[in-house]
Amino acid sequence: MTKRTIYTIILTLLPLCFCGCGKWLDIKPYDEMAEGDLLSTENGFIRLLNGIYIELNAEALYGGALTVEMVEIMGGAYAIGTDNAVWGNFSDLSEYKYGTDYWRQRFSSTWNKAYAMILNCNLLLENIDKEEKQHLFSGDNRNIIKGEALALRAMLHFDMLRMFGPVYSNSPESLSIPYYMAYTTTPEALLPASEVAGKIVTDLKNARILLSSDPVRTEGTRMEAPADGTSNFLYYRSLRLNYYAVTGLLARASLYFGDKASAFAYASEVIGTSASGIFPFVDRTLVTGSPDDPDRIFSSEVIFALSHARRNEIFKNYFDPSRMPNYVFRMNNDVFSRLIYGGSLTGGSQDDYRCRANWIASGTNRYFYKYSDMVETGNIRNTMIPLVRLGEMYLIAAESQSENLGNGLQYVNTLRSKRGVSSLPSLTRELLQYEYIRELYGEGQLFFMYKRMFAPILKSATGNDPQPSNEIFVVPLPDTETQN
Amino acid sequence: MTRNHSVIYSGILLTIALLAVLGASDLRAQGRTASEVTISGKIIDAADGYPLIGVSVMADGKGAFTDIDGKYELKLPAGKCTVTFSYIGYKNVVKEFTGKNTSAFSRIVMESSATELADVVVTGVYERKKESFTGSSATFKGDELKSLGSQNVLQGLKTLDPSFKIMESNLFGSNPNMMPDIEIRGKTSVMGLKEEYGSDPNQPLFILDGFETDIETVMNLNSNRIASVTILKDAASTAIYGSKASNGVVVIETKAPARGRLQISYKGDFGLSLADLSDYNLMNSSEKLQFETMAGVYRDNTGDPFKQIILDNLRNERLKNISMGVDTYWLSEPIRTGFTNKHNVYVEGGEDKIRYGIGLSYGGVQGVMKGSERNTIEGNIDLIYRTGKFQFSNKLTINSLSTANPIVSFEEYANANPYYMKYGVGGGIEKYLYYPSENIDDYPVSNPLWNAHLNNYDKTAGFGFTNNFIFEWFILKELRFRAKFGIKKNDENQQVRLSPEHTQFDDVGETEKGLYTHTLTKDFAYEGDFALTYGKLFAEKHMVNAVGGFNFSNQKYLDYSYSATGFTEDQFDAPSFANGYPEGGSPEYKETHKRAVSFYLNGGYSYDERYLLDVNYRLDGASMFGAENRFRNTWSVGLGWNIHKEKFLSDRTDFFQMLKLRASAGNPGNQNFSAYRAFSTYKFNGWMTNVFGAGVIVKTLGNKGLAWQETINYDAGADITFWGSRINLTFDYFWKNTDPLLAIISTKGSMGVTTIAMNAGCQKTDGWEATFKISPVYRPSEGINWNISLNATSSKSRYANIGNAFNSLNESGKTSLVGTTRYYDGGSPTAIWAVRSAGIDPATGKELFIKKDGTYSFTYDVDDEVVVGDTQPKVEGVLGTTLYYKGFSVGCYFRYSLGGQIFNSSLFRKVENIGTEEVYNNQDKRALYDRWSPDHREAYFKGISMVQKTDKSSRFVMDENTLTGESFNIGYEFPDRMIRKLHISALSLQMSLNDIFRISSVRVERGIDYPFARNVSFSIGVTF
Repeated sequence: MTKRTIYTIILTLLPLCFCGCGKWLDIKPYDEMAEGDLLSTENGFIRLLNGIYIELNAEALYGGALTVEMVEIMGGAYAIGTDNAVWGNFSDLSEYKYGTDYWRQRFSSTWNKAYAMILNCNLLLENIDKEEKQHLFSGDNRNIIKGEALALRAMLHFDMLRMFGPVYSNSPESLSIPYYMAYTTTPEALLPASEVAGKIVTDLKNARILLSSDPVRTEGTRMEAPADGTSNFLYYRSLRLNYYAVTGLLARASLYFGDKASAFAYASEVIGTSASGIFPFVDRTLVTGSPDDPDRIFSSEVIFALSHARRNEIFKNYFDPSRMPNYVFRMNNDVFSRLIYGGSLTGGSQDDYRCRANWIASGTNRYFYKYSDMVETGNIRNTMIPLVRLGEMYLIAAESQSENLGNGLQYVNTLRSKRGVSSLPSLTRELLQYEYIRELYGEGQLFFMYKRMFAPILKSATGNDPQPSNEIFVVPLPDTETQN
Repeated sequence: MTRNHSVIYSGILLTIALLAVLGASDLRAQGRTASEVTISGKIIDAADGYPLIGVSVMADGKGAFTDIDGKYELKLPAGKCTVTFSYIGYKNVVKEFTGKNTSAFSRIVMESSATELADVVVTGVYERKKESFTGSSATFKGDELKSLGSQNVLQGLKTLDPSFKIMESNLFGSNPNMMPDIEIRGKTSVMGLKEEYGSDPNQPLFILDGFETDIETVMNLNSNRIASVTILKDAASTAIYGSKASNGVVVIETKAPARGRLQISYKGDFGLSLADLSDYNLMNSSEKLQFETMAGVYRDNTGDPFKQIILDNLRNERLKNISMGVDTYWLSEPIRTGFTNKHNVYVEGGEDKIRYGIGLSYGGVQGVMKGSERNTIEGNIDLIYRTGKFQFSNKLTINSLSTANPIVSFEEYANANPYYMKYGVGGGIEKYLYYPSENIDDYPVSNPLWNAHLNNYDKTAGFGFTNNFIFEWFILKELRFRAKFGIKKNDENQQVRLSPEHTQFDDVGETEKGLYTHTLTKDFAYEGDFALTYGKLFAEKHMVNAVGGFNFSNQKYLDYSYSATGFTEDQFDAPSFANGYPEGGSPEYKETHKRAVSFYLNGGYSYDERYLLDVNYRLDGASMFGAENRFRNTWSVGLGWNIHKEKFLSDRTDFFQMLKLRASAGNPGNQNFSAYRAFSTYKFNGWMTNVFGAGVIVKTLGNKGLAWQETINYDAGADITFWGSRINLTFDYFWKNTDPLLAIISTKGSMGVTTIAMNAGCQKTDGWEATFKISPVYRPSEGINWNISLNATSSKSRYANIGNAFNSLNESGKTSLVGTTRYYDGGSPTAIWAVRSAGIDPATGKELFIKKDGTYSFTYDVDDEVVVGDTQPKVEGVLGTTLYYKGFSVGCYFRYSLGGQIFNSSLFRKVENIGTEEVYNNQDKRALYDRWSPDHREAYFKGISMVQKTDKSSRFVMDENTLTGESFNIGYEFPDRMIRKLHISALSLQMSLNDIFRISSVRVERGIDYPFARNVSFSIGVTF
């Protein structure tokens, strides 16, 4: 070989090395899923969406803090003692001491978790809109998935706004929370509450359009697996933010933002559906019939619930009387017997299905059994944590009667008739509140009701209630939000 | 797609560059003249008579290299000229050609000059004569490192080179199983990342025999196997490693088998380690009781007379014990004299074609704490085979490792009170030193000896091998092709067991007692490299060197662990005796997979050995860079001027043996942030499923816009040797700017993540380092030599353009009890931030603070924080001297560090800030003395109190100047005539003392979890 040949060979071979390296450098991780892999099929999107629903059961969110625990204590639902050894940090919260280390940390973890789920929604939404992914979806699934993700994003923002934002009816222009519409590496600024409200309503309306062909509208909730063993993605619709759940959220949000006309319209639509049999009122026999298996959450009326595989732990951790001498969450005895399920002018009666199904006496006290398991196991009802229910729609319809609350009386009385109790002669704010308490107790809506009405928080039967103020109703933003 | 194109373009550019260099040589080769005389011959090694390959033969502007058989051929014009033979590591041979004496050139013998090895720079990719290299580097021979008697290679490097720093860990002391943090020329990255990623972002790159390796392998390496270590410091020398090189590179070469008859050598090291507890200043029993009494431990604050009686009785009982002589010195309990023995046997030999070496090493290290061990066994086979123009060499190393760590930390012993007795009345070890009577709110005090005597363990066993194969093809005299392929595999099993009787499980149910954790780590990596090396001298003046190559690597690391709980008895520890898994526990599995490819080009040019130029370019692609940012460029340029070769100097005087000025610039990067990805990944929820099945949520967020850390690096230096090589001086000034910094910062929670990797500002460092060596007595022919060396370094760093990015770190640092590091523009990463203190007010006993505006106040306000010191010393280095006298050698090395400050945490934690919990631990003696009281108003410390919190102030910041006796050694090499009769060809003995003393201007407890050690060692080396 001459020198020239050698150099020629070397120089022709050299560029070959440069080809094909790009692919070799693409490594797929084994113990986690790369975004490109996961979201390359419809099933990947379905898994991610379901992952968000599952994660909402976390204790920092609706598996605790935002339903039975933190927010319900703030709503004055439970008689919280002052003995530190028994009640621990709960005493501070029931006195609205949001500044303690423990509660600052707790609010912070709820905030972080909620926004982490919003981030998951945004990642899903970012990918589902990509041009090359349009062909992945069968039927109307793309719209359903996108609609549910949009609605989840709106619901989470709405609950953060209700928790950390201003009292909307007093100061809608105050800075509140940031609204994340996309995954970004730069933080979004705090927005005035009214702007957040606008974005929530827009997201919900868009979701409602996307969900317009939701099978729930024609087939109902379909709370059992398809007989032919195919995918159950479009079944169990009340475990998803279905078309009516989004409508219900719109009713709730519109009322909170003072748009009573819209609130009434949306609530009416859901109520109308109920008449057509999609969300029927609970069957009397299921509540009062067999005492072992009452349908305590009135499952047929639930428009949207989470499915928590170990829901009974919620009962055991907070409400079970056998927890004594540890703390047990239950209603103040006077409030129970003189206002909610007793008393002459309050509409309270122990015959109320809601009392008979959910409140069991032990000694002189009544204990709350809404989240307790039925004897019959494996029933989907045993896993549900209701987040939107039919009863609330009747109460929203009543509350949204402009100016004259009395016009809403018929809605309250219709609801009461389905609960086995007599009609009220007239409606006042207090009477409406009692009805909310009966209907939504332990579901995390009471604090927001008082905040919406800027009303005293009912804690005693003697009028010794915390008076409305920003100190009580506005939870300070977490430190990480203000310091970074 | 555009990316791919640019890769191909870069490749083509590289090719063209190479073509230009190579093509030039062809043109040169054309010009031949008619009246030529050919000289030819063979060049052999004086030591063993074997041919030398690649020796450069130069005469009258012509040059040639010897081939694989050591043969050369050179055409010379008829007439007289001078022929020079030169070879790296050998003494030059100069012969006069008269035009006729061709026979005088047929056999040339060259002598090796071991002392000149340091004159070669080994970068792991190419070798270059130091004289013609423009980079800043330092090379040390294995023997040089060995003579320091250090525990491992890295400890020795620290003594010899000022830029190489091992960060002393106050927490882990001299724990033989802790890998140290190492820095070359200071930090380039923000601290706090190690916690996030497990790998130290400031750690240099380690290259062992041409392949990338990890710090643990280097620490395990038997120091007798090392041939040389080179530290590459500036951009010109490190840029060949591209995006991994910004922290500097440490290149280690192990010994290759020598030719000749079969040789067996044995090296043995025997050492003792003794704990250095001189910095502990703990109270004795009566002092402690007095302190507790003054602090109010025995006073019932509720005023309950019944409880007061119990407390009085408790005190009286302790007083009685003390009067009976109870004064337990707990610190001696976990301590022992550690014995170290290391052995290395190496058999080597071979002839022209095949050389072989077989080695076996054992290292047994006992730490100074009982139960602390590190044992390594290493076998290696080195083979070299040569035929024609090809050479194959292979190094195989198999190693096994077993380590053990004590379960009870040293701190627990330091906390135990001296008025407790070690053993109970019956002489047995009791679980509690003190168990409170029922009517008193007090916690039991557990006995550290109890947990130590149980059947607990923390042990690791590992096994691995490394095989490095190198193929070389000497295509032409000036052109060489080299292919390398290395495989490395290492598995480790860690078992940690806590007995059910461990006090940690006192309050849990029977089924949750005891804990067994098993962790399996597997590490597998391969690396391949192809390179062409070219070197030729043109027209006697233009020396051209070029290296171009391609490198690929793959590394897979996995970590798999599970735990089991519910053991019933101390004795039975098999994992199968467990009751089950911990509640909610699931196996942990973590896998990291990295791949990288690189193209590199190095060019060196020197004109007449006077003007030097080095150029490097490297294109790196790595899997973690992300698809959109796959490749990054590294470049460097170095310039040098050998003034001593200039006629105006060399004609007038031969005073200077070397006078070189050099400068370099480049932008090496940092890849230590491997865990971060450019794309998002997802995981299963794991904790719950529903009727729809499983769900996934995001696990880690990708950030496509993230830029990788890059450090612009400038260096200017001088190498001066004069007075007959008696004085050596090396000086470097460097300036580095890491821009952008990559940092993990905490974010607003609303971003959906709590921390995020971000580019935030930059960090600038400038400093200098100098080494000065003088030989007042220098008579090498008589074997007498006395050297004195002084090295020093100093550097300063500061942040710039970081703005508010680290605000939350600053805020949490301000409010936390410890932590004096802050991140502000212009601030130093090593600065100590605290509120200035004017001392204790004699009248009130309160601390008086100085506010930012200079006024005084009794109120502590975090916003008054200013810089009150810097832990980075103004100057630090090593002063050393060595004396050789006919086989005897003596060496002493002292480390000094001047002008730094330290936040004295002993004073802060163990003198003040002793709260209601800490008061039950033994404390520093100073907690009792020099405290303010109405009778002692001029005190440095506040009055004794269990409730008063002391804030971080300049009162605890002190000037720290230290002097350490780093290495003292004495050795003797037996002369030939004494050992020949014993059929021994070499015999040497050595004794050394390491870290034998440390004098500091500050008294602060060192070695919290594990004490520091002093070492004494003896070595013997025999070759048959």
